[in-house]
Amino acid sequence: MATTAPPANTIRKGVQPLRAGQGNSFLWRRLHSLSGIVPIGAFLIEHIISNFEILNGPLAYAKQVQFLNSLPLVRVLEWAFIFIPLAFHALYGVFIAFRGRSTVNVYPWAGNYMYVMQRVTGIIALLYIGQHVWRQRFSGVSLPEHPGAAFAKVQHELSNPWMLAIYVIAMIATTWHFAYGIWLFAAKWGITPGDKARKRFGYICAAFGTALCIMGLASIVSIVMAPPAPDDVMPEKPAVTAQASPSTEFRHPENYGSRQ
Amino acid sequence: MATAARTIQVEIKRQSSPDQPATTEKFEIPYRPNMNITSLLGEIALNPVEVTGKPTTPITYDSNCLEEICGSCAMLINGKARMACSALVDKLEQPIRLAPLSKFPVVRDLAVDRSVLFENLKAVKAWVPIDGSYDLGSGPRQQPQIQEQRYPLSNCISCTICMEVCPQFNDSTSFVGAATIAQVKLFNMDPAGSVLKEERLRALAGDGGVQECGMAQNCVAACPKQLPLIEAISDVSRDVVIQQVKDFFSL
Repeated sequence: MATTAPPANTIRKGVQPLRAGQGNSFLWRRLHSLSGIVPIGAFLIEHIISNFEILNGPLAYAKQVQFLNSLPLVRVLEWAFIFIPLAFHALYGVFIAFRGRSTVNVYPWAGNYMYVMQRVTGIIALLYIGQHVWRQRFSGVSLPEHPGAAFAKVQHELSNPWMLAIYVIAMIATTWHFAYGIWLFAAKWGITPGDKARKRFGYICAAFGTALCIMGLASIVSIVMAPPAPDDVMPEKPAVTAQASPSTEFRHPENYGSRQ
Repeated sequence: MATAARTIQVEIKRQSSPDQPATTEKFEIPYRPNMNITSLLGEIALNPVEVTGKPTTPITYDSNCLEEICGSCAMLINGKARMACSALVDKLEQPIRLAPLSKFPVVRDLAVDRSVLFENLKAVKAWVPIDGSYDLGSGPRQQPQIQEQRYPLSNCISCTICMEVCPQFNDSTSFVGAATIAQVKLFNMDPAGSVLKEERLRALAGDGGVQECGMAQNCVAACPKQLPLIEAISDVSRDVVIQQVKDFFSL
C-alpha cells in the first residue's frame, strides 16, 4: 500500500487552505473591530455618563438630553456615528458569531469561555438595543423634541419588573462586551502582543468595564428608586403661552421643575 | 504477580476508508508500566483482537519520531487533541478513548489528511529564498535578540493541534490557523527571509487570513511545543494592517 504520495489536485475535503490575498474579509473584519471602539464604544461611554445625570434628578437629566440634542448636525451625527456603525457592527457580528464552532465543551479554558461570552453578550446587546432604540428613541414621546420628558419616559419603562430585569442584564452584557472588546482590539491590532502586556491590559479593561457597569446600574437603581417624575420637567408650550403673563416672562430654567 | 492481571481498556474510533462510516472498537491490553499511546497502538497491532474476541485489523495511525518532534501522531485522546507519543497511559483516565482529529478528513482510523497546513505554508511562502544559479555567499548576520524571538517559533512541529482546538478553524471560515501565522513571523524576522515579508503579509490579508482569529487562545494553551502563538498572531496582525494601509495609499 504505497499510497504515500499526496492526493492529486482533486476537490479537497475538509477545511480549505488560505485564499492568499483574495477577498475583502480583512477590511470588513477590521472595520468591525474598529467600529466597536470608535464610534460605538465612545458612544456607549457618553451614553452611560449622560445617564449618570439621573442621579442629579429629573431636571439635570433633562438638561443633559437637551444639551445632546442641541449639538450641531445632531441628526447627522446620530445616523453617521451611532445608527449606521451600530447596525453594521451588529449584523457583521452576528455573521462572525455564527461562523465560529465553539469548543468549550472539550477545552474549558478561560480564553475559550471569553470567546463564547463575547458572542453571547453581543447577541444579548443586539436584542436589547433593538427594542431599546425602538421604544425609547422612535416610539412614544419624542425625546429630542421634549427633553424634559426623558426622566419620566425611562422611569415609566423601568416600572415594569420584566423590563427592569432586561435592562440590568443588558447593562452587564453590554459593558462586558465593550470591556472585553477593548482588550480584543488591543490584542488583535498588535497593541498588546506580549503575554504580560495582554494580562496587564486585561486588568485595566476589567476595571474599566466594571466601573462603566456600576455607573450604568447606579443610574438604573436611581431612576427606579426616585419618586415619580412629572411627565415633562421643561415643557415648552406653557412657556410660550406664559409670555402673555409678565410675571412668568423671565423664568429661569432652574425654576421649571418647581412649577409642576 | 498481582499486576499481571491489570489491563488497559481502550476504545478506538475507526474508519476503514475516507468514505466509510465510523465505528468504535474496544480493546483490552495487558498492563505494562510507562506506556504511551503509540506503544499501546503497537501492542494492539501485535495482537489485533477486540475485547469480544473478534479478530480485527491493526489500527492505522501516523507516527514517526516517538519523541514529540516530528508532529505526526496528533489525535484526540480522551476527547482532547494531543500528541500520542507524549500521552502517557499511566496518567490517562480509562477507558482510554482514541479518535482521529475532528477537523481533518480521515484517511483511515486515526490517520488524517493534514495537507491543508502544507498548502497554507505554501500560500504564505514560509521559507527563506536562497536558491540561485550561483553561490549567494553566506547569509546576513542574525542578531541574538532576533534569534531569541525566532527560536521558539522554529519549534513548530506542524502537528495541527492549534488548528484542531481553534473555534475559528472550520469549514465556514477556512481560517489559516495559528501555526501558519507563527511561521510568517518566523520567516519575516529572518534577515534573508524578510525579502518576502510584504508578500506574506498580503497573503495573510486574504479570506481565511489572520483577521479570522477570535482570540480564544486555545492554540497557545494546547500547543505541545509551547509556541508563543498569540504573541505571533498579535504581531503579524499589526504588520498586516500596516501593510494594507501602505498598499492602500500607494495606489
